[in-house]
Amino acid sequence: MKKINVIGLGNILFGDEGFGVEAVRLLEKECTDLPDSVQFIDGGTQGLNLLDYIESADIVLIFDAIIPPDFDRKVYVYADGELPGFIHRKMSSHQMGLSELLSVARLHGKAPEKIVLVGVPPRELELGSGISLEVQELLADAVGEGKKFLGSVVND
Amino acid sequence: MAKKIVVDPIPRIEGHLRIEAKIGENNVIEDAFSSGTMWRGIEIILKGRDPRDAWAITERICGVCTTVHALASVRCVEDALGIEIPKNARIIRNLMNATQQTQDHLVHFYHLHALDWVDVVSALKADPKAASGIAQSISPWPKSSPGYFKDLQQKLVGFVESGQLGIFSNGYWGHPAYKLPPEVNLIAVAHYLEALDFQKEIVKIHTVFGGKNPHPNYLVGGMACAIDPNRNTAINIETLSMVKKIIEDTKTFIEQVYIPDLIAIAGFYKDWLYGGGLGNYLCYGDFPEKSIDDAESLLWPRGAILNNDLSTIHDVDPRDLSQVTEEVSHSWYTYSNGDDKGLHPWEGETKPEYTGPKPPFEHLDTDNKYSWLKIPRWKNNPMEVGPLARVLLAYAKGDPMITDTVNMALGKLEVGAEALFSTLGRTAARGIECLQTAGFMMHYYDQLVDNIKTGDLRTANTELWDPSRWPKEAKGFGYTEAPRGALGHWIHIKGGKIEDYQIVVPSTWNASPRDANGNVGAYESALRGTPMADPELPLEILRTVHSFDPCLACASHVFDMNGKEITKVTIA
Repeated sequence: MKKINVIGLGNILFGDEGFGVEAVRLLEKECTDLPDSVQFIDGGTQGLNLLDYIESADIVLIFDAIIPPDFDRKVYVYADGELPGFIHRKMSSHQMGLSELLSVARLHGKAPEKIVLVGVPPRELELGSGISLEVQELLADAVGEGKKFLGSVVND
Repeated sequence: MAKKIVVDPIPRIEGHLRIEAKIGENNVIEDAFSSGTMWRGIEIILKGRDPRDAWAITERICGVCTTVHALASVRCVEDALGIEIPKNARIIRNLMNATQQTQDHLVHFYHLHALDWVDVVSALKADPKAASGIAQSISPWPKSSPGYFKDLQQKLVGFVESGQLGIFSNGYWGHPAYKLPPEVNLIAVAHYLEALDFQKEIVKIHTVFGGKNPHPNYLVGGMACAIDPNRNTAINIETLSMVKKIIEDTKTFIEQVYIPDLIAIAGFYKDWLYGGGLGNYLCYGDFPEKSIDDAESLLWPRGAILNNDLSTIHDVDPRDLSQVTEEVSHSWYTYSNGDDKGLHPWEGETKPEYTGPKPPFEHLDTDNKYSWLKIPRWKNNPMEVGPLARVLLAYAKGDPMITDTVNMALGKLEVGAEALFSTLGRTAARGIECLQTAGFMMHYYDQLVDNIKTGDLRTANTELWDPSRWPKEAKGFGYTEAPRGALGHWIHIKGGKIEDYQIVVPSTWNASPRDANGNVGAYESALRGTPMADPELPLEILRTVHSFDPCLACASHVFDMNGKEITKVTIA
């Protein structure tokens, strides 16, 4: 059975930035019948520390707030090659993002065989807890996309 | 008119440090303003809470240097309450601290700072065989065959050609301030990847003694871990041997990869000796061999250096109300008795009052208040803290390991000691210190094993755990040398609760704005006088600011599908 890591990314103290973490919490609650090969991980803003969770899995499903090219209010799903890897110029080690982790995993030759990102564009990024109403309305769709994907790979 | 450059993370997306630099004739930086653009506020959260919880709350200030605030916090509470910790706890704290320093410095050099010196795209032009020759001439590190470098180079080329990603599109590649030959760039890229793989092993030591990482567990009175050589649920022989293996591998990596790379890279930049700055250095010291109160027993000494004068070491007493003070003349706070008057942290106040421009804005009002960082001063002097301060102090005091390593590095580079007072010196000091702390890791491992062998398994002193046994009122000071420099926590406990808590972090010293007397902070001073090859691409600013290893509050990390850069540079 393939090892699957489901990772929620984001800072729950910055409004919709916490979308990824919230979506994975919900998904885990709704998925009660999955085998132990599926792990749910609150990735927070851990950056570099998450590299192992990406490189050690066969399949990775990530939830994160995203800046899509067209910024429609909808759930975006990207897979494998559609996910860009970048190494950014940074001011501090706090700025290690998903794009950098992906590029490093690829350069290491340890990128997972399948990787899917479920994302929504944020509406509010103000300091404070909770997700905006608009993003809350997209949560069910996002969780649905996650379930659909997990269903298609869990028995691989 | 002078041009003004702003280097700022895109508002509300990332990071919290902003630099505004005025560029004068010949593109030389005339003046610079450093601004912290976010308020921490932990001091207010702590008021009225249980002092025994303070470590867990303050530790979460930072997820990169994840143990340092916990350590300073338990030390300040223990200091206030007069708690002596057991020998095992002292050793374990030292071992975890040495682990943190080593991992942090390694990550900083390869992950954050290397791209200020290393041109990744140039590595595509390298001759793998020549790269192998260079690598083998500077180090016995085994991963150095022509085939190894050729494979990596082909992967890099594949990335560029695949077209789907602009992995290299956001750097200042090809910038005239890059000086390394393609082969050295290729070696550095290889080690960038190896270091990323490797650093995650080091912090496993924190999970052994602190239960988890990041944010391992501490305890007022000692450490919250049990030692029992015969039990599976405690620290036993098996876990200790794992720790030993990690330490040995770490030491090898620092000796055979980090230090040779540092010297090889520095050799091409030894004419670029800008970025020295203040020339004032402050250390609280750390790594107590006896009680934390015994400053004589610190392996990293305490003291101050002024005006680059290594012949005079000034005594430092962070409890003296006239030495360490913070004022807010250029910070978005207000004090009851005047913003220009420095207050010792035991008398400190935290009252935010934002008077800056309403965002979005182009420039800060740098004539008035322009930062969320307060203005710490030592005897009214702005000070630099961190690896360069510590290495210079140890060098001035004649510490044998530091003196030998510094002289070895200066000798190989054929430069004098004055070269230390620079951006490159700061970067070199971090590497030298990393070699030292990797040695400390083994030193404390040995101490721990020796002490366990005597039958002493105690890790905590809980005699004064119960608040009913505390004095009605007490003040305490706790310190550590975090990877980024001197860190102090000052606490005032009243009726079993936190009455007041003040934290002065290393980056507040280094990134401080100017004070009421017009004395600039360490970043601001270090940037002055630096010539820029191309102000549109301010690589030199990033290089110098990065050399301090700025610590910014954890922000948000939105994933940008368009691959936009996350640090914005604008010029007006």
